[in-house]
Amino acid sequence: MGQRRRAGTVNTSSSQRFSGAPAQAARKHNICMVSDFFYPNMGGVESHIYHLSQCLIEKGHKVVIATHAYGRRKGIRYLTNGLKVYYLPLQVMYNQSTATTCFHSLPLLRCVFVRERITVVHAHSSFSAMAHDALFHAKTMGLNTVFTDHSLFGFADISSVLTNKLLTVSLCDTNHIVCVSYTSKENTVLRATLNPEIVSVIPNAVDPTDFTPDPSQRQDDRITIVVISRLVYRKGIDLLGGIIPELCLKHPDLHFLIGGEGPKRIVLEEVREKYQLHDRVRLLGALEHKDVRGVLVQGHIFLNTSLTEAFCMAIVEGASCGLQVVSTRVGGIPEVLPEDLITLCDPTVGSLCAGLETVIARQRSGFVPSPASIHAHVRNLYTWRNVAERTEKVYDQVAGEGVLPFNRRLQRLRAHCGPVAGSIFAFVAVLDFLFLLFLQWLVPDRVMDIAVDATGPHGLWRQETSHVEMKTENV
Amino acid sequence: MMEDETFTDISGKAISLGCQSHSSLCREFTVSSPKVSVAKVMVYTCCVWLLAYSVFFFTENTAVLSSAILVTLLGMVLHIHFVKVDQESLLVIGSLGIQLSSSYASGRETTTFIEMSKIKDIVINEAIYMHQIIYYLCVLLKDPSEPNEVSSVVPLFQSSKPRLNCLVKVYKSCQEILSKCR
Repeated sequence: MGQRRRAGTVNTSSSQRFSGAPAQAARKHNICMVSDFFYPNMGGVESHIYHLSQCLIEKGHKVVIATHAYGRRKGIRYLTNGLKVYYLPLQVMYNQSTATTCFHSLPLLRCVFVRERITVVHAHSSFSAMAHDALFHAKTMGLNTVFTDHSLFGFADISSVLTNKLLTVSLCDTNHIVCVSYTSKENTVLRATLNPEIVSVIPNAVDPTDFTPDPSQRQDDRITIVVISRLVYRKGIDLLGGIIPELCLKHPDLHFLIGGEGPKRIVLEEVREKYQLHDRVRLLGALEHKDVRGVLVQGHIFLNTSLTEAFCMAIVEGASCGLQVVSTRVGGIPEVLPEDLITLCDPTVGSLCAGLETVIARQRSGFVPSPASIHAHVRNLYTWRNVAERTEKVYDQVAGEGVLPFNRRLQRLRAHCGPVAGSIFAFVAVLDFLFLLFLQWLVPDRVMDIAVDATGPHGLWRQETSHVEMKTENV
Repeated sequence: MMEDETFTDISGKAISLGCQSHSSLCREFTVSSPKVSVAKVMVYTCCVWLLAYSVFFFTENTAVLSSAILVTLLGMVLHIHFVKVDQESLLVIGSLGIQLSSSYASGRETTTFIEMSKIKDIVINEAIYMHQIIYYLCVLLKDPSEPNEVSSVVPLFQSSKPRLNCLVKVYKSCQEILSKCR
């Protein structure tokens, strides 16, 4: 079945290296990252995939990325260091996530997996339909699968019940799952009823060179509180609306600097209007990632009011710029920073105000560590190299495990996902397998050209004498 | 003529690559695909005729049958005249330029010529074609006014679509000639 097919490819692709590889300690993988979210779309998942891929390339693995086409950006592109990106022409349905029918993406994804000789498929983000499709197809084709979850979900409302069911189906036969914090792990294990042993925790990272402190940008006659987040309910903007007037009344030298855009902007504007705080509360609107540091260094205190958060990147960035961090004690936030760098409060206006008051008092007395010392402390906490090293270990483990045979996979689906959903998806898996057989008959693997490696052990990138010159164009 | 390797196109059908060296700066590459197979013509004709007969069986109108004959004849003529390409050739002349010609099954030929001053380079590129990802050879054109920009791309061997090993062969010889005349 799937396994047999892969064995065939390995033999025909003239690589003795592959058959001898498992014995070696430093094994190189051919990794395909799949997600709907990638540049030019901006966000945490996108930068996570990009930085992780770059560090894996540095370690000598071959990495390609598959995502959907963004406007006119379709076809094949190369990024820094020969990172190859496939922008596949799949229809976008909602919020940059592709429509899923479970089948239509198989021909192109199979083509990518076969021609790049992929051994590990790494899907990202549970919001991405393409990631789930790729996991599904990869398992049908007998490839190892890893999934990274970047977000927390609820359990109560109907939409999360449905998403959780889909996640259960998608993850029950995935080799390994990676979460960004222990809270996120707990959440994912519960949502998808997983065995906790196959779930690892690898936090996100920040590029410390991007976020360096610069105390000269601060104005010393006032205390500035910086908030940078999307202005949505999930980020606790209503709490912020309660905090602003209370603290501004008590401290006349207190200023707020708020970056971000969203539907809750109106709440903040109302507060500003009602209490006449136009000179002290500045709303900066949407910020580009490169401008974030410029805003952060102007403040003394970084405030995060999130109501739910898997792993808060913003507070790490804030601390990296040398700010005092005040945050709500929700989700994975307590695990992110050591206690001396963060002040945790309950997600209520009263508790947040009390927390801010103590930090303001500390700031006034001058009894705070210098921004440079905070930066020095934070800069080695979360690095991409460390993330890549840990992810590499996951790949090594997964590669040693082997893939669930098809009949066992069907049994697993039916046993794990309930009688109705399990049977439906077992049926879909069978259809997917038949479709794969049809495609293998229509376009056999041996007529597909093996792609020229840009990265990995035989990567040609940077070599002057590469015998095939390649350019990327819109086609 | 040299033919030491067997080549196939992207769907696995055998094609042949002819390489003719007229001089050190002039080379001609010919990719020929197999002729129209009789079996394929028979299958298509039978399909149309069976369909026509079944319609005739219900309507009992003889015009259906005669139109079926017309459709098959016309279809065949159009197919060999406009669709089916027997041979595609690429003639590279170092100092002059590149001539692309394709001859159809009916004997019709189309030829285009690209001057050397407009050619920036010849490269192998990757593209998504239908439900496949393929390699193809293409000529990069430049505007003489902007010599560092690529103004457009002309794909080569568009109907025969050879696989990478064949493309690499053509690419290497083309680069040899192009490097000589720079």
